[in-house]
Amino acid sequence: MEKQPTQFPDRAALVAHVKTLSPLRADDGVSETRGGRAAAEALLAAIDPAAYGHSRNYLDGAVTRLSPYIRHGIVSLNEVRNQALEMGDGKAIEKFIQELGWRDFWQRIYAQNPDWLWHDIEDYKTGFAADDYADTLPQDIAAGETDSAAMNYFISVLKTSGYLHNHARMYLAAYIVHWRRVKWQAGAVFFLAHLLDGDPASNNLSFQWVASTFANKPYFFNLENLQKFAGMEAPCDYHTNKFFGGSYDDLALKLFPDMEAL
Amino acid sequence: MSKLIWLHEDCLRATHQLFTHAQDPAHDKAANAVYIWDDAYMTKMHFGLKRRVFIYESLCELAVDIYAGDTIETLKDMQHRLGVDEIITGKTPNPALKSMMHGLRETVKVSAIADAPFVQMDSPPELRRFFKYWNKAKKNAFLYDGRP
Ligand SMILES: Cc1cc2nc3c(=O)[nH]c(=O)nc-3n(C[C@H](O)[C@H](O)[C@H](O)COP(=O)(O)OP(=O)(O)OC[C@H]3O[C@@H](n4cnc5c(N)ncnc54)[C@H](O)[C@@H]3O)c2cc1C
Repeated sequence: MEKQPTQFPDRAALVAHVKTLSPLRADDGVSETRGGRAAAEALLAAIDPAAYGHSRNYLDGAVTRLSPYIRHGIVSLNEVRNQALEMGDGKAIEKFIQELGWRDFWQRIYAQNPDWLWHDIEDYKTGFAADDYADTLPQDIAAGETDSAAMNYFISVLKTSGYLHNHARMYLAAYIVHWRRVKWQAGAVFFLAHLLDGDPASNNLSFQWVASTFANKPYFFNLENLQKFAGMEAPCDYHTNKFFGGSYDDLALKLFPDMEAL
Repeated sequence: MSKLIWLHEDCLRATHQLFTHAQDPAHDKAANAVYIWDDAYMTKMHFGLKRRVFIYESLCELAVDIYAGDTIETLKDMQHRLGVDEIITGKTPNPALKSMMHGLRETVKVSAIADAPFVQMDSPPELRRFFKYWNKAKKNAFLYDGRP
């Protein structure tokens, strides 16, 4: 049994070594995001819970990017909350602490009902049955070559950085499940393979929330919403994102013709 | 006899409470910490290269020895060779890791130590919808260490 090295002349040497340990993955790319506690502490010192409260839904909002570190226990949720408490009081940091609560919520479900992770917790509320959804992810989604420029942008960011803003995850998940009518499980595997923070509970249960198998209604969006929250980063013009155009009522009729009224 | 610390992907932090648990006043030497680089397990968990590099880099900042191999086989082998009587690890909701712990328990004591909780509650919350959970959790979630 051979002890593996933990000191390398540079990052490229470390990456080369990890590739030798992961022969099937050796052709994949690597994120610029660094692992380790030092990187996490730098992000922790820079959190801005008050700005988070009013900007977190925008792709350029004051989100922390702490998720890969929290996911792997490099920082605990407790530490992040304690740090937020030192930076502001009740109302201003409420939203931030509530979002940390989502992770705690999903982890508690994971511990209590691990069998929920890969199975529909409830039926789809979309008017479709599970069998109406495709089992596998279409190749154009995996390759980031869909008919939507915004979705291609999100897929490319996911694949190169291993991170996506929460709202971008919601858009892309909704696109996969509702516009392309693909089972949420296929989307969840795609995300897990690329996200640095990929977590069976946060990822799969969020997918089920989008799909409506763990929510009272499906999550979907329209172009106006996409432009408002993602337009500063992603290409969101009408011509390259046509099928998101229209009101929520129009889109609901198109996407879910057999759904009972919302 | 000695203790062995088994770090897995949910507890890559030197201040995790499992390290405190592993301190044995009877020994002046700290327990060894190991991470088992288990390619088959990581593939099963859908870990791509990005994630693997992130984890390896995180391990390099910790006082931990990395060994490549099947997790259970490698840990059992170490247990016999080093005369380990307790494996200390992080508590996890992950059923695959839990089943490894279960397998190890056939031959050795395994203690899975919980991380500091986000929020402490008197009774378990209802976990069907977030707001049922949050209505209970918010009582302590805004307090230092999540408790009064
Ligand atoms: C389809 C989909 C898949 C997702 N997959 C994952 C995943 O695999 N791993 C993961 O950690 N999160 C996942 N999330 C939740 C959320 O998108 C990310 O936690 C968040 O975007 C991470 O970025 P951040 O660290 O900048 O978050 P911030 O907004 O800065 O939040 C701080 C921390 O709070 C926690 N958090 C915030 N919002 C959520 C949330 N809605 N659910 C769970 N935890 C939250 C995270 O630990 C996060 O790091 C997913 C969401 C969706 C919609």
